[in-house]
Amino acid sequence: MSFHARNIHVSYGHHQALAGVSLHAKAGEVTAIVGPNGSGKSTLLGAMTATLPYEGEVSLNGRSVAGQKPWELAAQRAVLPQASKLAFPFTVIEVVQIGLHAGTAGAQTDVPMHALARVGLSHYAHRNFQDLSGGEAQRVMLARVLAQVWAPVQAGTPRWLLLDEPVSSLDIAHQLQVIDIARDFAARGGGVIAVMHDLNLTALFADKVAILAAGKCLAVGTPTEVLQDDILSRTYGCTLRVCAPPGDERPYILPHAASA
Amino acid sequence: MVAISQTGLPPKTRYAKVRSLHWVLICALVVCAGLSLQIGATDVQFTTILFKAASGQVLSPAEQVVFFDIRLPRLVMGCLVGAALAVSGAAMQGLFRNPLADPGIVGVGAGAGLGAIVAIVLGACLPLWIQEVTGNQLVPVAAFLAGWGSTLLLYRVSTRNGRTSVATMLLAGIALGALAGAISGILVYVADDRQLRDLTFWGLGSLAGASWAKIVAAGPMIFLSIAVASYLGRGLNGLALGEATAEHIGIDVQRLKSIAILTVAGATGAAVAVSGGIGFIGIVVPHLLRLATGPDHRTLLINAALVGAILLILADVIARVVIAPAELPIGIVTAVLGAPVFLWILLKRRGLVEL
Amino acid sequence: MSGKKDGFAIFAAIWTALLGSFFATAVSTQNASTQAAPHADVLSIGGSVTEIVAALDQQHRLKARDTTSVYPPEVVNLPNVGYMRALSPEGVLSVGPELILAEEGSGPPEAIDVIRAANLPFVEVPDSYTAQGIADKITIIGAALDVPDKARELSTQVLADMEAAQQQSARAPDTKKRVLFILSTQGGKINASGVGTAADAIIQMAGGINVIDSFEGYKQISDEAVGAAAPDVILMMDRGGNHGGTNSDLFAMPALQLTPAAETEAVVRMNGLLLLGFGPRTAEAIVQLNTALYGEGS
Repeated sequence: MSFHARNIHVSYGHHQALAGVSLHAKAGEVTAIVGPNGSGKSTLLGAMTATLPYEGEVSLNGRSVAGQKPWELAAQRAVLPQASKLAFPFTVIEVVQIGLHAGTAGAQTDVPMHALARVGLSHYAHRNFQDLSGGEAQRVMLARVLAQVWAPVQAGTPRWLLLDEPVSSLDIAHQLQVIDIARDFAARGGGVIAVMHDLNLTALFADKVAILAAGKCLAVGTPTEVLQDDILSRTYGCTLRVCAPPGDERPYILPHAASA
Repeated sequence: MVAISQTGLPPKTRYAKVRSLHWVLICALVVCAGLSLQIGATDVQFTTILFKAASGQVLSPAEQVVFFDIRLPRLVMGCLVGAALAVSGAAMQGLFRNPLADPGIVGVGAGAGLGAIVAIVLGACLPLWIQEVTGNQLVPVAAFLAGWGSTLLLYRVSTRNGRTSVATMLLAGIALGALAGAISGILVYVADDRQLRDLTFWGLGSLAGASWAKIVAAGPMIFLSIAVASYLGRGLNGLALGEATAEHIGIDVQRLKSIAILTVAGATGAAVAVSGGIGFIGIVVPHLLRLATGPDHRTLLINAALVGAILLILADVIARVVIAPAELPIGIVTAVLGAPVFLWILLKRRGLVEL
Repeated sequence: MSGKKDGFAIFAAIWTALLGSFFATAVSTQNASTQAAPHADVLSIGGSVTEIVAALDQQHRLKARDTTSVYPPEVVNLPNVGYMRALSPEGVLSVGPELILAEEGSGPPEAIDVIRAANLPFVEVPDSYTAQGIADKITIIGAALDVPDKARELSTQVLADMEAAQQQSARAPDTKKRVLFILSTQGGKINASGVGTAADAIIQMAGGINVIDSFEGYKQISDEAVGAAAPDVILMMDRGGNHGGTNSDLFAMPALQLTPAAETEAVVRMNGLLLLGFGPRTAEAIVQLNTALYGEGS
């Protein structure tokens, strides 16, 4: 079972944002998409969630997503956007419940409270969402997404979490919490695809990393295979050094100032 | 998996509480309806009529006319129009994700106003068969058709590749409003003295022209629109998170937009056609309810219909008794009641309308 | 918290005051209402209709009136059913009329439909701006009030008066003064009478020329058109108070500054109902306007 994008092309006017990118994500794994600003990471996620018009083929668990109804897709995958705006003063618990669909979990279940507890915000249930800080709002949105696909596997079919920069506005403790949640989801049979900025966090939690630059996929593989000095320096256009701490196979990346 | 906290039970949300408000509001509506049938310029009383009906006495002709041809159609039309305007306002605010949107945003008001002006000024130039078919109802018919037509036009303009851009719709609506205003201006210049007065009174809005014929014509449209709109609640809640997220949680956003726009055009078009321009119900009612009971559209839409009906009935009672035997245009009453409340809301919730 | 409460108190106070004054104004227009005579049975809608009822010595039968009925002055004390074009059916029925006399154009049509459905005698009185039109009104009203003889007497009298007034006002075309009737000067824009209006008819009957003959009805006209029309005299309605401002305000308007009327400050202000009503007093209005235009004994 996989989430498979094949030969994806996306254009904004004359600018080609994606020029034939493919990504194959397996259930039970965390797949990270990294790359510099404007490389097409979020665009790829947008194509895979059918948020933008694209050319190419996207299939989810073996079925093409084109032609599937929004509610059919919603039962199989949940999407965490980069930033969320809310138009009306809903409470936190109401926001989490909005994500619930008849096909995923009934409104009467206790899933929303469990989801809030999972992100450590159950005591905020009756707060006004619009009064939350950016990081808190991001965690509530994660809870909403979790509630939508609460069971990572349903009727033998894996479900998917698509996360667009899930840790960008969080402090280090909550970054680790999100990583824990994503790993746990994958460990229980679900699939996770995350667009990431922080290479070290990526190295920490991804099973597979795809590196995008200028609308093309430069490399795909395990963090150790892909996070290499030359690949990263070519991708980002600056000097980076990848180290491996003793006793841990996961690489970590140090920036090198040009003058150093 | 991390340990789940002790709060495993489903929390008490506002939803359940607010749902029971339906019944309170229905009771209030019944009370106001009774009031509206009881009070009027003549001394005909609902209680007397009930008593007579119960004891098998025959009603006097005056009682029959006042009750069945004046107060009852007025009450029914007040309910329909108030509910239509309030539901349309709530639906538009949800669709445009803006608490200041009103049904006029989709061009219904501008179109209907233009239709009414054309009918008033140029009605006599129409072919005779049209005049015969429509009779006294030419102005409402023209207003409805033009209101509905301009919404379709706006919808058409702002839909590309099967996607409707609400921002384009907003801008196109402003352009269409300006155009309709300009054409109306030209027609106002052509209009004679009497037509000008008709125009002025049409613009102020009134339920005084209520008749069973109008209710039969506008009622099904309004009723259907409200029924359909009340099922949009879940979709509009999702839309509060943005169009993309709404789609991701399983809402067919394009279908939601189409249904919302068409039902609002239907309900508002029919309401404006039979009662003229009645302001503030569409904005104030959903706004007040959101402050009082939260923004959940699943309850908001139905409660708005009920509160809209109640408010318009009360405004109508005021309009017809304050200077009896003459009567105020109801648009004046709703504006006098509604505008200060609206200002108060804005003062209290300054942060609410930041875009 | 107390700040919020204070804010609310101030708001509530202002709102209450607003509402209070609104209703007070609304109600005060009704304070004048007094009981009509005991055997009164007629609701009269339209200024000239009410005047004719009074002229037929049937004023005691008036039970209620509309806003435009303000002559003779005593009728102002009758209950008022509102503006003739925006009647409320229940309001009309509530005054309990046994006969409704309504000038042409009373409405809205839906209200008239309901009133007719109540099986009350409803007589529509056609309006036209000629001597014969007035006589016809009198005949119709006389028949409805069951005083045909009095009506015949009055209409003969009115026709004779009108004939006399018009003859007295007739002049050679080259000595006629050019008159501009101004309905309003709101916002510095002049709303003037074209042809086919009551103002046009009375100007001609009184021996003047309506300077605007290029359109029908009352319309806003441009400043230059006023200058080009070169009126000798401005005719306006005297609505009491400061309507249209003082003469100096009036002639300070660019449109009027260059007209012959401005040189002599020639403005005639007459009571609106007398001037435009086309009722029993129209002969009087003709003489009065003629005198105002050309002076006594012209």
